Amino acid sequence: MKDDNPARPIIQARQVNKRFGAFQALKNVSATFYEGQVTAIVGPSGSGKSTFLRTLNRLEAHDSGEIVIDGIELNSNLKNLDAIRREVGMVFQSFNLFSHLSILRNITLAPMRVRKMDRADAEVKARQLLERVGLQSQADKYPLQLSGGQQQRVAIARALAMDPKILLFDEPTSALDPEMVNEVLSVMRELAYSGITMLVVTHEMGFAREVADRIIFFDHGVILEDTTPDVFFSNPAHERAQVFLSQVRHGF
Amino acid sequence: MNWTRHNPGWTMFAAMIGLLVFLWGLAVPLSSAPAPIGPAAGQFVEGARITVWLTLIAGSAGVVIGIIAGLGKLSRFRPLRWLCDMYVWLIRGTPLLLQILFVWLVAPTILPEGFDLSDFACAAIALSLNVGAYNTECVRAGILAVPYGQIEAAHALGLTTLQTFIDVILPQSMRVALPALANNLASLVKDSSLAYAISVVELTMVGYRVQAESYQPVPVFITVAAIYLILTTAFTTLTAALEAQLAVGQRR
Repeated sequence: MKDDNPARPIIQARQVNKRFGAFQALKNVSATFYEGQVTAIVGPSGSGKSTFLRTLNRLEAHDSGEIVIDGIELNSNLKNLDAIRREVGMVFQSFNLFSHLSILRNITLAPMRVRKMDRADAEVKARQLLERVGLQSQADKYPLQLSGGQQQRVAIARALAMDPKILLFDEPTSALDPEMVNEVLSVMRELAYSGITMLVVTHEMGFAREVADRIIFFDHGVILEDTTPDVFFSNPAHERAQVFLSQVRHGF
Repeated sequence: MNWTRHNPGWTMFAAMIGLLVFLWGLAVPLSSAPAPIGPAAGQFVEGARITVWLTLIAGSAGVVIGIIAGLGKLSRFRPLRWLCDMYVWLIRGTPLLLQILFVWLVAPTILPEGFDLSDFACAAIALSLNVGAYNTECVRAGILAVPYGQIEAAHALGLTTLQTFIDVILPQSMRVALPALANNLASLVKDSSLAYAISVVELTMVGYRVQAESYQPVPVFITVAAIYLILTTAFTTLTAALEAQLAVGQRR
Protein backbone atom coordinates (compact mmCIF):
# COMPACT_ATOMS: atom_id res chain seq x y z
CA MET A 1 0.00 0.00 0.00
CA LYS A 2 1.33 3.39 -0.91
CA ASP A 3 1.10 6.83 0.62
CA ASP A 4 -2.50 7.69 1.37
CA ASN A 5 -2.02 11.44 1.53
CA PRO A 6 -1.57 12.13 -2.16
CA ALA A 7 -0.14 15.36 -3.38
CA ARG A 8 -1.89 17.18 -6.16
CA PRO A 9 -5.33 16.70 -7.71
CA ILE A 10 -4.83 15.70 -11.36
CA ILE A 11 -8.37 14.80 -12.41
CA GLN A 12 -11.37 16.72 -11.17
CA ALA A 13 -14.84 15.68 -12.27
CA ARG A 14 -17.78 17.72 -11.04
CA GLN A 15 -21.45 16.93 -11.56
CA VAL A 16 -20.78 14.96 -14.73
CA ASN A 17 -23.86 13.73 -16.58
CA LYS A 18 -24.06 11.52 -19.62
CA ARG A 19 -27.07 10.00 -21.26
CA PHE A 20 -27.47 7.64 -24.21
CA GLY A 21 -30.95 8.36 -25.49
CA ALA A 22 -33.33 7.60 -22.66
CA PHE A 23 -30.67 5.83 -20.59
CA GLN A 24 -28.81 7.99 -18.12
CA ALA A 25 -25.38 6.41 -17.83
CA LEU A 26 -23.85 8.94 -15.43
CA LYS A 27 -25.81 10.95 -12.86
CA ASN A 28 -24.02 13.93 -11.33
CA VAL A 29 -20.78 12.06 -10.86
CA SER A 30 -18.12 13.97 -8.96
CA ALA A 31 -14.69 12.68 -8.05
CA THR A 32 -11.17 13.98 -7.63
CA PHE A 33 -8.13 11.87 -8.37
CA TYR A 34 -4.67 12.66 -7.13
CA GLU A 35 -1.29 12.35 -8.76
CA GLY A 36 0.25 8.93 -8.35
CA GLN A 37 -2.93 7.39 -7.05
CA VAL A 38 -4.08 3.99 -8.29
CA THR A 39 -7.84 3.75 -8.32
CA ALA A 40 -9.84 0.65 -9.10
CA ILE A 41 -13.31 1.35 -10.44
CA VAL A 42 -15.64 -1.56 -9.91
CA GLY A 43 -19.32 -2.27 -10.20
CA PRO A 44 -21.87 -4.34 -12.05
CA SER A 45 -22.17 -4.29 -15.85
CA GLY A 46 -23.95 -1.21 -17.13
CA SER A 47 -23.28 0.72 -13.93
CA GLY A 48 -21.50 3.51 -15.81
CA LYS A 49 -17.92 2.76 -14.78
CA SER A 50 -16.57 2.38 -18.33
CA THR A 51 -18.58 5.36 -19.51
CA PHE A 52 -17.07 7.46 -16.75
CA LEU A 53 -13.56 6.39 -17.71
CA ARG A 54 -14.26 7.17 -21.36
CA THR A 55 -15.49 10.68 -20.58
CA LEU A 56 -12.08 11.43 -19.06
CA ASN A 57 -10.40 11.50 -22.49
CA ARG A 58 -13.58 12.41 -24.31
CA LEU A 59 -14.12 9.17 -26.17
CA GLU A 60 -17.57 9.94 -24.79
CA ALA A 61 -18.43 13.63 -24.51
CA HIS A 62 -20.18 14.43 -21.22
CA ASP A 63 -23.50 16.23 -21.52
CA SER A 64 -23.05 18.53 -18.54
CA GLY A 65 -20.74 19.05 -15.63
CA GLU A 66 -17.07 19.84 -15.62
CA ILE A 67 -13.94 17.77 -16.08
CA VAL A 68 -10.52 19.28 -15.49
CA ILE A 69 -7.43 17.23 -16.25
CA ASP A 70 -4.10 18.53 -15.01
CA GLY A 71 -5.46 22.07 -14.99
CA ILE A 72 -6.96 21.91 -18.48
CA GLU A 73 -10.70 21.89 -18.90
CA LEU A 74 -12.01 19.07 -21.08
CA ASN A 75 -14.60 20.51 -23.46
CA SER A 76 -15.25 20.84 -27.15
CA ASN A 77 -12.13 23.00 -27.54
CA LEU A 78 -9.85 20.93 -29.76
CA LYS A 79 -6.68 22.49 -28.42
CA ASN A 80 -7.58 21.44 -24.90
CA LEU A 81 -8.59 18.02 -26.13
CA ASP A 82 -5.28 17.46 -27.94
CA ALA A 83 -3.34 18.62 -24.89
CA ILE A 84 -5.29 16.29 -22.62
CA ARG A 85 -5.06 13.27 -24.89
CA ARG A 86 -1.31 13.70 -25.02
CA GLU A 87 -1.20 13.30 -21.23
CA VAL A 88 -3.82 10.60 -20.82
CA GLY A 89 -3.08 7.11 -22.11
CA MET A 90 -5.70 4.45 -22.50
CA VAL A 91 -5.70 0.67 -22.60
CA PHE A 92 -8.80 -0.98 -24.03
CA GLN A 93 -10.59 -4.20 -23.29
CA SER A 94 -10.11 -5.37 -26.89
CA PHE A 95 -6.50 -4.08 -27.15
CA ASN A 96 -7.21 -2.13 -30.37
CA LEU A 97 -3.67 -2.47 -31.66
CA PHE A 98 -3.35 -1.14 -35.20
CA SER A 99 -3.66 -4.38 -37.14
CA HIS A 100 -1.84 -3.14 -40.24
CA LEU A 101 1.27 -2.04 -38.36
CA SER A 102 4.06 -4.11 -36.81
CA ILE A 103 4.36 -4.15 -33.02
CA LEU A 104 7.23 -1.67 -33.22
CA ARG A 105 5.29 0.71 -35.49
CA ASN A 106 2.27 0.46 -33.23
CA ILE A 107 4.38 1.89 -30.44
CA THR A 108 6.33 4.47 -32.46
CA LEU A 109 3.35 5.93 -34.35
CA ALA A 110 2.01 8.32 -31.72
CA PRO A 111 5.40 9.60 -30.47
CA MET A 112 6.43 10.29 -34.07
CA ARG A 113 3.18 11.95 -35.12
CA VAL A 114 2.08 13.68 -31.94
CA ARG A 115 5.37 14.37 -30.16
CA LYS A 116 7.29 14.77 -33.47
CA MET A 117 10.00 12.42 -32.22
CA ASP A 118 12.30 11.18 -34.97
CA ARG A 119 12.08 7.56 -35.99
CA ALA A 120 15.38 6.39 -34.52
CA ASP A 121 14.63 7.82 -31.07
CA ALA A 122 11.08 6.52 -31.15
CA GLU A 123 12.33 3.03 -32.00
CA VAL A 124 14.90 3.01 -29.22
CA LYS A 125 12.19 4.01 -26.80
CA ALA A 126 9.74 1.46 -28.20
CA ARG A 127 12.28 -1.34 -27.76
CA GLN A 128 12.91 -0.29 -24.17
CA LEU A 129 9.18 -0.37 -23.49
CA LEU A 130 8.83 -3.76 -25.16
CA GLU A 131 11.58 -5.03 -22.89
CA ARG A 132 9.74 -3.61 -19.90
CA VAL A 133 6.63 -5.62 -20.80
CA GLY A 134 8.75 -8.67 -21.68
CA LEU A 135 8.17 -8.68 -25.44
CA GLN A 136 11.43 -7.41 -26.91
CA SER A 137 11.62 -10.35 -29.31
CA GLN A 138 8.21 -9.61 -30.87
CA ALA A 139 8.97 -6.16 -32.30
CA ASP A 140 8.66 -7.12 -35.94
CA LYS A 141 5.54 -9.25 -35.66
CA TYR A 142 2.01 -8.11 -36.33
CA PRO A 143 -0.69 -7.88 -33.64
CA LEU A 144 -2.64 -10.90 -34.85
CA GLN A 145 0.46 -13.09 -34.52
CA LEU A 146 0.50 -12.50 -30.77
CA SER A 147 -1.65 -13.97 -28.03
CA GLY A 148 -4.25 -11.80 -26.29
CA GLY A 149 -2.08 -11.32 -23.25
CA GLN A 150 0.88 -10.29 -25.40
CA GLN A 151 -1.28 -7.89 -27.39
CA GLN A 152 -2.50 -6.25 -24.23
CA ARG A 153 1.07 -5.85 -22.98
CA VAL A 154 1.96 -4.21 -26.30
CA ALA A 155 -1.08 -1.93 -25.89
CA ILE A 156 0.26 -0.89 -22.48
CA ALA A 157 3.69 -0.21 -24.01
CA ARG A 158 2.01 1.81 -26.77
CA ALA A 159 0.22 3.96 -24.21
CA LEU A 160 3.43 4.40 -22.18
CA ALA A 161 5.35 5.56 -25.25
CA MET A 162 3.56 8.91 -24.99
CA ASP A 163 4.83 9.36 -21.41
CA PRO A 164 1.32 9.93 -20.10
CA LYS A 165 0.72 11.37 -16.68
CA ILE A 166 -2.44 9.33 -16.39
CA LEU A 167 -3.25 5.83 -17.62
CA LEU A 168 -6.84 4.70 -18.03
CA PHE A 169 -7.52 0.96 -18.17
CA ASP A 170 -10.91 -0.11 -19.46
CA GLU A 171 -11.37 -3.71 -18.32
CA PRO A 172 -7.88 -4.64 -19.55
CA THR A 173 -8.16 -8.34 -18.71
CA SER A 174 -11.82 -9.01 -19.51
CA ALA A 175 -11.18 -10.22 -23.07
CA LEU A 176 -8.32 -12.51 -22.09
CA ASP A 177 -8.16 -16.24 -21.61
CA PRO A 178 -7.73 -16.97 -17.89
CA GLU A 179 -4.16 -18.15 -18.23
CA MET A 180 -3.15 -14.82 -19.77
CA VAL A 181 -4.66 -12.56 -17.15
CA ASN A 182 -1.71 -12.73 -14.80
CA GLU A 183 0.93 -11.64 -17.30
CA VAL A 184 -1.05 -8.45 -17.93
CA LEU A 185 -1.77 -7.86 -14.25
CA SER A 186 1.88 -8.23 -13.36
CA VAL A 187 2.81 -5.52 -15.87
CA MET A 188 0.09 -3.32 -14.39
CA ARG A 189 1.30 -4.05 -10.88
CA GLU A 190 4.79 -2.95 -11.81
CA LEU A 191 3.33 0.24 -13.30
CA ALA A 192 1.26 0.95 -10.23
CA TYR A 193 4.38 1.03 -8.08
CA SER A 194 6.17 3.28 -10.57
CA GLY A 195 4.11 6.27 -9.46
CA ILE A 196 1.96 6.88 -12.52
CA THR A 197 -1.66 7.86 -11.91
CA MET A 198 -3.87 4.93 -12.83
CA LEU A 199 -7.62 4.48 -13.13
CA VAL A 200 -8.53 0.87 -13.68
CA VAL A 201 -12.01 -0.34 -14.49
CA THR A 202 -11.79 -3.99 -13.60
CA HIS A 203 -13.50 -7.15 -12.47
CA GLU A 204 -10.26 -8.46 -10.98
CA MET A 205 -11.07 -8.01 -7.30
CA GLY A 206 -7.84 -9.63 -6.19
CA PHE A 207 -5.85 -7.12 -8.19
CA ALA A 208 -7.98 -4.23 -6.95
CA ARG A 209 -7.49 -5.26 -3.35
CA GLU A 210 -3.77 -5.78 -3.66
CA VAL A 211 -2.69 -2.88 -5.87
CA ALA A 212 -5.25 -0.08 -5.65
CA ASP A 213 -4.99 2.82 -3.20
CA ARG A 214 -8.65 3.54 -3.61
CA ILE A 215 -11.80 1.76 -4.71
CA ILE A 216 -14.74 3.40 -6.38
CA PHE A 217 -17.94 1.41 -6.62
CA PHE A 218 -20.38 2.44 -9.36
CA ASP A 219 -24.01 1.47 -9.47
CA HIS A 220 -26.74 2.82 -11.74
CA GLY A 221 -24.64 5.76 -12.87
CA VAL A 222 -23.63 7.03 -9.43
CA ILE A 223 -20.64 6.49 -7.18
CA LEU A 224 -21.95 4.54 -4.22
CA GLU A 225 -18.69 3.91 -2.44
CA ASP A 226 -15.40 5.75 -2.55
CA THR A 227 -13.04 4.28 -0.04
CA THR A 228 -9.92 2.24 0.57
CA PRO A 229 -9.69 -1.41 -0.51
CA ASP A 230 -9.55 -2.57 3.11
CA VAL A 231 -12.82 -0.89 3.99
CA PHE A 232 -14.51 -1.78 0.73
CA PHE A 233 -13.72 -5.48 0.83
CA SER A 234 -14.20 -6.04 4.55
CA ASN A 235 -16.97 -3.67 5.40
CA PRO A 236 -18.80 -2.00 2.51
CA ALA A 237 -21.30 0.62 3.56
CA HIS A 238 -24.00 -0.05 0.98
CA GLU A 239 -26.08 -3.11 0.58
CA ARG A 240 -25.62 -3.07 -3.21
CA ALA A 241 -21.87 -3.20 -2.75
CA GLN A 242 -22.27 -6.15 -0.38
CA VAL A 243 -24.43 -7.95 -2.93
CA PHE A 244 -21.91 -7.19 -5.67
CA LEU A 245 -19.04 -8.49 -3.56
CA SER A 246 -20.84 -11.66 -2.68
CA GLN A 247 -21.41 -12.29 -6.36
CA VAL A 248 -17.77 -11.78 -7.38
CA ARG A 249 -16.18 -13.20 -4.26
CA HIS A 250 -15.48 -16.59 -5.79
CA GLY A 251 -12.70 -14.88 -7.75
CA PHE A 252 -10.31 -14.52 -4.83
CA MET B 1 -0.65 -16.65 -57.21
CA ASN B 2 1.07 -18.15 -54.21
CA TRP B 3 4.33 -16.68 -55.36
CA THR B 4 2.62 -13.32 -55.71
CA ARG B 5 1.42 -13.53 -52.12
CA HIS B 6 4.89 -14.26 -50.81
CA ASN B 7 6.80 -11.81 -52.97
CA PRO B 8 4.43 -8.91 -53.55
CA GLY B 9 7.20 -6.37 -54.00
CA TRP B 10 8.93 -8.38 -56.70
CA THR B 11 5.66 -9.17 -58.43
CA MET B 12 4.74 -5.50 -58.63
CA PHE B 13 8.17 -4.72 -59.97
CA ALA B 14 7.98 -7.54 -62.51
CA ALA B 15 4.49 -6.55 -63.67
CA MET B 16 5.55 -2.95 -64.19
CA ILE B 17 8.72 -3.91 -66.04
CA GLY B 18 6.71 -6.41 -68.06
CA LEU B 19 4.24 -3.73 -69.05
CA LEU B 20 7.00 -1.35 -70.10
CA VAL B 21 8.90 -4.02 -72.05
CA PHE B 22 5.65 -5.02 -73.70
CA LEU B 23 4.84 -1.48 -74.80
CA TRP B 24 8.42 -0.90 -75.90
CA GLY B 25 8.99 -4.18 -77.70
CA LEU B 26 5.53 -4.89 -79.05
CA ALA B 27 6.54 -3.55 -82.47
CA VAL B 28 9.16 -6.27 -82.98
CA PRO B 29 6.93 -9.38 -83.09
CA LEU B 30 4.06 -7.48 -84.69
CA SER B 31 6.10 -6.13 -87.58
CA SER B 32 7.30 -9.61 -88.48
CA ALA B 33 3.70 -10.86 -88.61
CA PRO B 34 2.08 -11.31 -92.03
CA ALA B 35 -0.28 -8.72 -93.52
CA PRO B 36 -2.54 -7.16 -92.44
CA ILE B 37 -0.86 -7.03 -88.99
CA GLY B 38 2.79 -6.56 -89.97
CA PRO B 39 2.48 -3.36 -92.00
CA ALA B 40 0.28 -1.76 -89.30
CA ALA B 41 2.56 -2.73 -86.36
CA GLY B 42 3.37 0.90 -85.57
CA GLN B 43 -0.30 1.80 -85.35
CA PHE B 44 -1.04 -1.09 -82.96
CA VAL B 45 1.82 -0.04 -80.68
CA GLU B 46 0.68 3.58 -80.70
CA GLY B 47 -2.89 2.49 -79.96
CA ALA B 48 -1.77 0.27 -77.09
CA ARG B 49 0.22 3.11 -75.59
CA ILE B 50 -2.77 5.46 -75.74
CA THR B 51 -4.90 2.80 -74.07
CA VAL B 52 -2.34 2.33 -71.29
CA TRP B 53 -2.01 6.08 -70.78
CA LEU B 54 -5.76 6.53 -70.58
CA THR B 55 -5.98 3.69 -68.07
CA LEU B 56 -3.13 4.95 -65.89
CA ILE B 57 -4.33 8.55 -65.84
CA ALA B 58 -8.03 7.80 -65.35
CA GLY B 59 -7.18 4.96 -62.94
CA SER B 60 -5.07 7.18 -60.68
CA ALA B 61 -7.42 10.15 -60.84
CA GLY B 62 -10.31 7.79 -60.25
CA VAL B 63 -8.78 6.51 -57.01
CA VAL B 64 -8.26 10.06 -55.76
CA ILE B 65 -11.81 11.02 -56.73
CA GLY B 66 -13.10 7.82 -55.13
CA ILE B 67 -11.36 8.58 -51.82
CA ILE B 68 -12.58 12.18 -51.76
CA ALA B 69 -16.15 11.36 -52.74
CA GLY B 70 -16.17 8.28 -50.50
CA LEU B 71 -15.21 10.46 -47.55
CA GLY B 72 -17.76 13.04 -48.68
CA LYS B 73 -20.49 10.45 -48.56
CA LEU B 74 -19.58 9.72 -44.94
CA SER B 75 -19.33 13.38 -44.01
CA ARG B 76 -21.44 14.83 -41.23
CA PHE B 77 -22.00 17.90 -43.42
CA ARG B 78 -25.24 17.14 -45.21
CA PRO B 79 -24.82 19.24 -48.39
CA LEU B 80 -21.49 17.55 -49.07
CA ARG B 81 -23.11 14.15 -48.61
CA TRP B 82 -25.86 15.12 -51.03
CA LEU B 83 -23.35 16.36 -53.57
CA CYS B 84 -21.42 13.09 -53.49
CA ASP B 85 -24.60 11.02 -53.60
CA MET B 86 -25.72 13.04 -56.60
CA TYR B 87 -22.39 12.51 -58.36
CA VAL B 88 -22.49 8.75 -57.95
CA TRP B 89 -26.16 8.61 -58.89
CA LEU B 90 -25.58 10.62 -62.04
CA ILE B 91 -22.52 8.72 -63.25
CA ARG B 92 -23.81 5.25 -62.45
CA GLY B 93 -27.15 6.00 -64.01
CA THR B 94 -25.93 7.12 -67.42
CA PRO B 95 -23.93 5.35 -70.15
CA LEU B 96 -20.19 5.91 -70.25
CA LEU B 97 -20.36 6.64 -73.96
CA LEU B 98 -22.78 9.48 -73.27
CA GLN B 99 -20.47 10.85 -70.57
CA ILE B 100 -17.51 10.84 -72.95
CA LEU B 101 -19.50 12.58 -75.67
CA PHE B 102 -20.88 15.03 -73.12
CA VAL B 103 -17.45 16.12 -71.87
CA TRP B 104 -16.16 16.36 -75.44
CA LEU B 105 -19.10 18.46 -76.69
CA VAL B 106 -19.64 20.58 -73.59
CA ALA B 107 -16.04 21.35 -72.63
CA PRO B 108 -15.39 23.76 -75.53
CA THR B 109 -18.54 25.74 -74.76
CA ILE B 110 -17.79 26.31 -71.07
CA LEU B 111 -14.00 26.70 -71.23
CA PRO B 112 -12.61 30.20 -71.70
CA GLU B 113 -11.52 31.32 -75.16
CA GLY B 114 -8.12 30.01 -76.25
CA PHE B 115 -8.15 27.21 -73.71
CA ASP B 116 -8.34 24.04 -75.70
CA LEU B 117 -8.87 20.52 -74.39
CA SER B 118 -7.53 17.75 -76.58
CA ASP B 119 -9.72 14.77 -77.44
CA PHE B 120 -7.42 12.66 -75.29
CA ALA B 121 -7.90 14.99 -72.31
CA CYS B 122 -11.68 14.89 -72.74
CA ALA B 123 -11.61 11.09 -72.74
CA ALA B 124 -9.33 11.04 -69.68
CA ILE B 125 -11.64 13.40 -67.77
CA ALA B 126 -14.78 11.45 -68.62
CA LEU B 127 -13.15 8.12 -67.73
CA SER B 128 -11.77 9.53 -64.45
CA LEU B 129 -15.18 10.79 -63.41
CA ASN B 130 -16.75 7.48 -64.38
CA VAL B 131 -14.35 5.17 -62.59
CA GLY B 132 -14.24 7.62 -59.67
CA ALA B 133 -17.96 7.14 -59.07
CA TYR B 134 -17.64 3.38 -58.94
CA ASN B 135 -14.56 3.71 -56.72
CA THR B 136 -16.52 5.95 -54.35
CA GLU B 137 -18.69 3.08 -53.24
CA CYS B 138 -15.71 0.76 -52.78
CA VAL B 139 -13.84 3.31 -50.68
CA ARG B 140 -16.92 4.01 -48.59
CA ALA B 141 -17.39 0.31 -47.89
CA GLY B 142 -13.69 0.04 -47.01
CA ILE B 143 -13.85 2.92 -44.54
CA LEU B 144 -16.97 1.51 -42.91
CA ALA B 145 -15.17 -1.81 -42.47
CA VAL B 146 -12.48 -0.30 -40.21
CA PRO B 147 -13.34 -1.33 -36.63
CA TYR B 148 -14.29 1.66 -34.50
CA GLY B 149 -11.85 0.58 -31.80
CA GLN B 150 -8.96 1.37 -34.15
CA ILE B 151 -10.17 4.95 -34.47
CA GLU B 152 -10.72 5.28 -30.72
CA ALA B 153 -7.22 3.98 -30.06
CA ALA B 154 -5.76 6.56 -32.44
CA HIS B 155 -7.73 9.36 -30.81
CA ALA B 156 -6.79 8.20 -27.33
CA LEU B 157 -3.12 8.39 -28.35
CA GLY B 158 -3.61 12.01 -29.34
CA LEU B 159 -3.56 11.64 -33.12
CA THR B 160 -5.55 14.34 -34.89
CA THR B 161 -8.46 13.50 -37.15
CA LEU B 162 -6.25 13.92 -40.23
CA GLN B 163 -3.43 11.78 -38.79
CA THR B 164 -5.95 9.13 -37.79
CA PHE B 165 -7.28 9.09 -41.33
CA ILE B 166 -3.90 8.90 -43.05
CA ASP B 167 -2.15 6.51 -40.66
CA VAL B 168 -4.97 4.22 -39.61
CA ILE B 169 -8.23 4.51 -41.52
CA LEU B 170 -6.89 4.84 -45.06
CA PRO B 171 -4.46 1.90 -45.03
CA GLN B 172 -6.95 -0.36 -43.29
CA SER B 173 -9.83 0.62 -45.56
CA MET B 174 -7.68 0.14 -48.65
CA ARG B 175 -7.10 -3.49 -47.92
CA VAL B 176 -10.84 -4.00 -47.90
CA ALA B 177 -11.47 -1.78 -50.90
CA LEU B 178 -8.60 -2.95 -53.07
CA PRO B 179 -10.14 -6.07 -54.67
CA ALA B 180 -13.11 -3.99 -55.81
CA LEU B 181 -10.87 -1.13 -56.94
CA ALA B 182 -8.80 -3.63 -58.94
CA ASN B 183 -11.97 -4.83 -60.58
CA ASN B 184 -12.79 -1.29 -61.62
CA LEU B 185 -9.29 -0.85 -63.01
CA ALA B 186 -9.62 -3.99 -65.13
CA SER B 187 -12.92 -2.66 -66.47
CA LEU B 188 -11.29 0.65 -67.17
CA VAL B 189 -8.66 -0.90 -69.46
CA LYS B 190 -11.50 -2.04 -71.70
CA ASP B 191 -13.85 0.91 -71.13
CA SER B 192 -11.14 3.20 -72.47
CA SER B 193 -12.01 1.78 -75.90
CA LEU B 194 -15.11 3.99 -75.90
CA ALA B 195 -12.80 6.96 -76.39
CA TYR B 196 -12.83 5.95 -80.06
CA ALA B 197 -16.17 7.79 -80.29
CA ILE B 198 -14.42 11.14 -79.91
CA SER B 199 -11.67 10.14 -82.34
CA VAL B 200 -9.00 9.21 -79.79
CA VAL B 201 -6.87 6.71 -81.66
CA GLU B 202 -6.59 4.05 -78.98
CA LEU B 203 -6.25 0.33 -79.53
CA THR B 204 -9.81 -0.47 -80.61
CA MET B 205 -9.87 2.44 -83.01
CA VAL B 206 -6.62 1.20 -84.54
CA GLY B 207 -8.13 -2.25 -85.01
CA TYR B 208 -11.19 -0.76 -86.59
CA ARG B 209 -9.13 1.28 -89.04
CA VAL B 210 -6.78 -1.54 -89.98
CA GLN B 211 -9.58 -3.99 -90.66
CA ALA B 212 -11.43 -1.36 -92.70
CA GLU B 213 -8.36 -0.92 -94.93
CA SER B 214 -7.49 -4.59 -95.20
CA TYR B 215 -10.98 -6.18 -95.18
CA GLN B 216 -9.59 -8.83 -92.82
CA PRO B 217 -11.39 -8.30 -89.49
CA VAL B 218 -10.60 -11.72 -87.96
CA PRO B 219 -6.78 -11.55 -87.62
CA VAL B 220 -6.96 -7.85 -86.78
CA PHE B 221 -9.45 -8.22 -83.95
CA ILE B 222 -7.68 -11.32 -82.62
CA THR B 223 -4.51 -9.23 -82.39
CA VAL B 224 -6.39 -6.42 -80.64
CA ALA B 225 -7.99 -8.87 -78.21
CA ALA B 226 -4.60 -10.45 -77.44
CA ILE B 227 -3.09 -7.06 -76.66
CA TYR B 228 -6.01 -6.21 -74.34
CA LEU B 229 -5.60 -9.55 -72.58
CA ILE B 230 -1.92 -8.92 -71.98
CA LEU B 231 -2.65 -5.42 -70.68
CA THR B 232 -5.39 -6.53 -68.28
CA THR B 233 -3.17 -9.38 -67.08
CA ALA B 234 -0.39 -6.94 -66.29
CA PHE B 235 -2.76 -4.61 -64.43
CA THR B 236 -4.44 -7.36 -62.42
CA THR B 237 -1.07 -8.87 -61.50
CA LEU B 238 -0.05 -5.45 -60.28
CA THR B 239 -3.15 -5.00 -58.14
CA ALA B 240 -3.01 -8.56 -56.80
CA ALA B 241 0.54 -7.91 -55.65
CA LEU B 242 -0.53 -4.64 -54.05
CA GLU B 243 -3.30 -6.51 -52.29
CA ALA B 244 -0.81 -9.02 -50.92
CA GLN B 245 1.39 -6.16 -49.79
CA LEU B 246 -1.47 -4.54 -47.86
CA ALA B 247 -2.75 -7.82 -46.45
CA VAL B 248 0.25 -7.98 -44.16
CA GLY B 249 -0.74 -8.58 -40.53
CA GLN B 250 -4.09 -10.08 -41.46
CA ARG B 251 -5.37 -13.51 -40.61
CA ARG B 252 -5.95 -15.65 -43.68
